[in-house]
Amino acid sequence: MRNMNYFGQFVPGTSVLHSLDPRVKIASLIGLSLMILRGDIMAGTMISAIFLCLTPLCRFTPLSMARAIRPVMPFLALLFLVHLLFTKGSPIPPFPAWAVTVSYEGLRQGALVLWRFSLLILFAHLLTLTTSSTELIIGMERLLSPLKIFRIPTHDIALMLSMALRFMPTLLEEMTRIKEAQMARGAVFGQGPLKRRIRAVGSLILPIILSSMRRADELSVAIEARGYRRGPRTHMKELRMSHRDYASIVVMASLAALHLFESLL
Amino acid sequence: MIRTEKILFKYESTSRPVLRDISLKIEEGEYVTIMGANGCGKTTLIRHFNGLLSPWSGSVNVDGLSTSEPGALSEIRQRVGMVFQNPDSQIVGMSVEEDVAFGPGNIGLPPHEILERVHNALERVGIGGLLKRNPHTLSSGEKQLLAIAGALAMRPRYLVLDEPTAYLDPSMTRQVLDVVRRLHNEEGITVIHVTHDMDEIVGSQRVVVMNEGRIILDDSPTRVFNRVDILRPLGLGIPKVTELMRHLRRMGTDVRPDILTIDEACEEILSLLDSQKKIAKPSAGCGSLFPDRPVE
Repeated sequence: MRNMNYFGQFVPGTSVLHSLDPRVKIASLIGLSLMILRGDIMAGTMISAIFLCLTPLCRFTPLSMARAIRPVMPFLALLFLVHLLFTKGSPIPPFPAWAVTVSYEGLRQGALVLWRFSLLILFAHLLTLTTSSTELIIGMERLLSPLKIFRIPTHDIALMLSMALRFMPTLLEEMTRIKEAQMARGAVFGQGPLKRRIRAVGSLILPIILSSMRRADELSVAIEARGYRRGPRTHMKELRMSHRDYASIVVMASLAALHLFESLL
Repeated sequence: MIRTEKILFKYESTSRPVLRDISLKIEEGEYVTIMGANGCGKTTLIRHFNGLLSPWSGSVNVDGLSTSEPGALSEIRQRVGMVFQNPDSQIVGMSVEEDVAFGPGNIGLPPHEILERVHNALERVGIGGLLKRNPHTLSSGEKQLLAIAGALAMRPRYLVLDEPTAYLDPSMTRQVLDVVRRLHNEEGITVIHVTHDMDEIVGSQRVVVMNEGRIILDDSPTRVFNRVDILRPLGLGIPKVTELMRHLRRMGTDVRPDILTIDEACEEILSLLDSQKKIAKPSAGCGSLFPDRPVE
C-alpha cells in the first residue's frame, strides 16, 4: 500500500473492479456522481456504504484512500467554510459574534457539501486506481463514438489524450533540466519576493513551450511515418463485456431507478 | 527497390534547393550508409523514401509505387520503416507493447494479429522482456530498440535509420547497431543508415556521400575511403583504424589498405608479425592478445 500515495495513480491488480470493462466503470462513475450531487442524506449514506464495500474488494483500505485525497483537503475545507458562513438560518448560540454568523443550516449544508465532494473524489480515485490510462482512453473513445455522426473525430481525440498522458513525465523531466541549467547560471527559484519568483517561473515557460513545440513537430513526423492517418484505428485489446459487466450495469440501473423513484416521492 | 529519379527539393522558407538532381537506386537486400556533414540534405533525402516529403520535381518509387500517389502512401509506409534520432519523440504508447501496436493499429489489423506482431517484433530486437514497461522508464538504448520494433511490426522490407545513435552512449550504440546488422544479415532486411560517424559504417556494402544536396560519392566503403581528398574538406574523416593502417602502409609496412574494423586490423598485424618473425606455429588470433574482448 506504500506506493499508492497520489491521486490519479493506477495500481495494477486482479480485483473485480480491475477486471470490469472501462466503459462500465466510466458510465458508473458518471451515474454515481449525478446521484451524489442530486441526492440527500439517504442517498449519500447508501453511496458511502457502496464505497466502503468496494474498497476492500480491491484490497485498498478506506484510510489509505483518504490519505490519497489529502492534496485536495484545502479545497474541501474552503468549500465547507463558505457554506458554513454564508448560509442563512438560525444562528448557533455564541454567534453572531465578531460579525460572523454560523447557523445550524450552514453547518448542515457545509457538512453535506463536504461529504458529497469527498465521495466524488474518492470514487474518481477508485476508478483511476483500478483502470490503466490506456483502458480509460479506450473506454472514453468507445463511449464517445456515437458523436462520430456529428463528425467529431473521437479517434483523434483519444490519441491526443493518450499522447498527452504519455508525454507528461517527459515534459516534467525537460522542465527539471531547463530549471537546472538556469540555476547553474545563477537563477534562483522559490525564493525572494513574489515578483521575483513570478519572473523566475516566466523564464522557464518560454523554453518549455519552445521545446514542446519542437517535440510536437518531431512527433507528428514520427507518427506519420508509422502509418497514422485520420480515421478509425484498431487496438491490440478489444473491449469485451463479461457477466460481471452486465451484473454491474444491472446494479447501477437499479440504483438509479431507486434514486429517481425516491426523488419523485 | 527504392528508386529516386532526379529529385529536386526545397523548403518553402529557403531559396536554395536542399536536394538537387538526386538519382539513386537502392536494391532489396542492400545495406547502404548515407553520410555527409550537417545540413547536406541526408535527412531530407530519406524523408522522400516513405513519402513524408514529396519532391518538387522528379519522382520517388518504392517497389514500383510512386510516393506522389496519395493512395499508395499507406502501403509504402508499411514497406519502408523509419527510425529517428530522438528516442523520446517517436514513442507514442503508454507501454512498450502498446507502442509497438501503434503502427499495426493504424493499418487496421485485427487484435490477434496485432498481438502476434507485437510479440514477434519485440523478440527480434531482443527486448521481449520489457513488454509491460512504461517507455519513460527505459534507457535511451532500449527506447531506440523499441522504435526499431515499432517499425518491424509493420513487416517492412526497408528499414531507414536516421542517425539512430545520436543520443546514445557507446555501449548502447553498439547494442543497437548489432541488432540492425543482425536484421540485415539474418533476415535480409534492406538497411538504409544515415550517420556522420565513420566508425558506424561497418556492415554496409555501399556508402553514399552527400554534400550540399548532391551525391558526390557512391561506392563500396573501401573505395570511398580512398577518396580522402574529397572527404577531408567535408569534415568527414575515415575510420581511425583505417587511417592507422594506411599510415603504416605509407611508412613501408605491408598491410592491406582496406581495413575497416579493429578486429580486421588485429588479424592483419598479427599475420604480418608471424610472417616477419617466421614463427613456425601460427598465431592464436586476436583472442590471445585481448583475452577479455569477445571476438566478433
